[in-house]
Amino acid sequence: MPPKARGQGAPALAEAPTDATRAPLRDDRGTPRAFLGAGIGLRASHYRDFLDAAPAVDWLEVHSENYFGAGGFDLHVLEVLRHRYPLSFHGVGLAIGSPVDTPDAAARFERHLERLAGLVSRFEPGLVSEHLCWGALDRRHFNDLLPIPYTRPMLDHLVAQVGRVQERLRRRILVENVSAYLRFRADAMDELAFLAELAGRSGCGVLLDVNNLHVNAVNHRFDAAASLAAMPDAAIGEIHLAGHLVTENALVDDHGSRVAAPVWMLYEQALGRFGPVPTLVEWDTDVPELAVLLAEADEARARLRRATDA
Amino acid sequence: MRDRALVEAFAAALAAQSLADAQLDAFADDADVVRRRFGLYRGNVEANAGRALASAYPVVRQLVGDAFFGALGREYARAHPSTSGDLNEYGRMLPDFLDGFPHVADLPYLPDVARLEWLVHRAHYAADAAAFDPARLSGIPPERFAALTPRIHPACALMDSRFPVATIWRVHQPDHEGEIAVDLEADGEHALVHRPRWRVSVAALDRGARAFLDAVVRRKALADAVEAGLAADASFAADRVLARLVADAVIVDFAEP
Repeated sequence: MPPKARGQGAPALAEAPTDATRAPLRDDRGTPRAFLGAGIGLRASHYRDFLDAAPAVDWLEVHSENYFGAGGFDLHVLEVLRHRYPLSFHGVGLAIGSPVDTPDAAARFERHLERLAGLVSRFEPGLVSEHLCWGALDRRHFNDLLPIPYTRPMLDHLVAQVGRVQERLRRRILVENVSAYLRFRADAMDELAFLAELAGRSGCGVLLDVNNLHVNAVNHRFDAAASLAAMPDAAIGEIHLAGHLVTENALVDDHGSRVAAPVWMLYEQALGRFGPVPTLVEWDTDVPELAVLLAEADEARARLRRATDA
Repeated sequence: MRDRALVEAFAAALAAQSLADAQLDAFADDADVVRRRFGLYRGNVEANAGRALASAYPVVRQLVGDAFFGALGREYARAHPSTSGDLNEYGRMLPDFLDGFPHVADLPYLPDVARLEWLVHRAHYAADAAAFDPARLSGIPPERFAALTPRIHPACALMDSRFPVATIWRVHQPDHEGEIAVDLEADGEHALVHRPRWRVSVAALDRGARAFLDAVVRRKALADAVEAGLAADASFAADRVLARLVADAVIVDFAEP
C-alpha cells in the first residue's frame, strides 16, 4: 500500500529522495539541489563550527532523539541551521522491528512515534529514516540496534510497523540496513532482498548503509558485491558511509574512522547501479575535528559527480 | 509468533549476561563465534546506558571516580533498566537508587547532588522562554502591580537540601577556578536551577528569595509572594530580588488577574 503521506501537504523537499536520485547535482542556476550531494552527521561537538561559520557541506543529518526536548540549545542550533542546510532526521530509538503485542510495548512505540511526529511536523525535514532492527521488548528498551530474523512473519510485522509510522508522519520514510554481528538460523532471505521487499510492500524507501553491508559480508562470509548486484529494485533514497573497526572477533561498526577502501569500492558499485544518491558520512566514536568529516564528504561528492557525468 | 520467541531469548540473554546453550541454536554461527559476538551486543547495551548516565550525572561521576561510576552504572541498569528509546530520559531514578546503595553510605550528600543534577539535566531540554522586557510594565498602573502573577521560566526548578549542594555543583563545573574544597558541615542550601538562555546554572537562594520563588511557582500573586518572602526573612528586599530574577530570566512574565 503506498503511504498516504504523499500529496497530503508534505513539503516539496519530502519528494526529493525519489526525484533526486537521478537528477543533476546542481540545478540550472548552479545552486545545489536539496539532498543532492554529500552531507555529514551533525554532532554536538561541531555545533560551534556551524554557528560561527558556514562550513561547505550539502546537507546535515541529525539523530532525531537528540531533539525530542521541548526546547533548549540543541533545538536552537537546529532552528538556526535549518535555514542554511537541508536536514535529514535519522531515528535510533523507534526500533520498528520490536514486538508491540503487549500494552506496555504498544504504548512505548506510540509515545516515541508521537514525539517523532512533533519534531517532523515542526522542521519538515527532507528525509526521515529509521533502522531495520528491533531494540525493545515489553517495558525494557535496550537502546541498541539489535538484529531481526529475516523471516516472512517478521517481514509482515515490519510492513505493518512501517505503514503505521508513515501513516502517523504522513510521509514516506527510509529504512536502513544495520550491521548485525549475529544471524539467525531461521533466516529465509538475504537482508537486501528483505529490505527491497519491505520497501515494495510498505512504500518506504531504502537507506543503504554501504559500510554495514561490507561489515556484514565480512562477518558472515558472503559476497557484498554479489548481494548488491542481486538486490531487487527498490527506491534508494540515501546512502550512508562510515568507518569500522577491525577486530579478531568481527568487524565492528563503530563509526570511528575514515571510510575504508573496500567500502568506497562498494559505494562506487552502488552508484553505478542506482545512479547518484544523496550520501552521508557518519562519525560517532572519537569524533574528529570538522575538517576531517568535510574531507570525507568531499571524497563522496567527487564520486557522486563522476556517477552523474557517467 | 516464532520471531517473538527469538527476540525474547535474545533479550533474556542480554539481561542474564550470559547465553544459555539452548539459545545458541537460534544463531547461524558456531557456538564460540556466537558467544563472542553476543558479547559485542552486551558491551554496546552497557556502554550506551553508561554514557547516557555519565552525561546526566557528570558531578556524581567526578565525586566517585570513573571506575566506581562504571560499576554503579551497571548496578543501576539492573535495578532500573531503560524504558525509552530516548536515552536523555534514562537515569531518573539514580538519586533514589543512591539512597539505598550501601557502597555510598559514607557520602551522605551524594543522593542530593544526583537530585540536583537530574534537575539540571532536564533543564537542558525544557521549553524556551524569552527574558521579560520591563518596558512591558509601563502600560500597567502601579497600583495593579501587587495583583500581577509572576510566571517562572519552564526550565527553572527549586530544590532544598541539608547539604550545600549548589556549592558542590558549582565547584565541579569545568570552567570553575579557585577553591574546590567544600565544607560539608556547612548549612544546607536552597538551590535554584535556571537556564537564562541556553546554559543551565545553579544558584543558592537565601531564605527570603526561596520562600518568594516557592510562592511564585505555586502561582501566587506578587503581593502574596512578597509577603511569603518577608515571613521567611524580615530583611527580604523584594525590589532587589525581583529585579535580579527578571534579569536572570527566572521570572519571564507577569500575568494580569
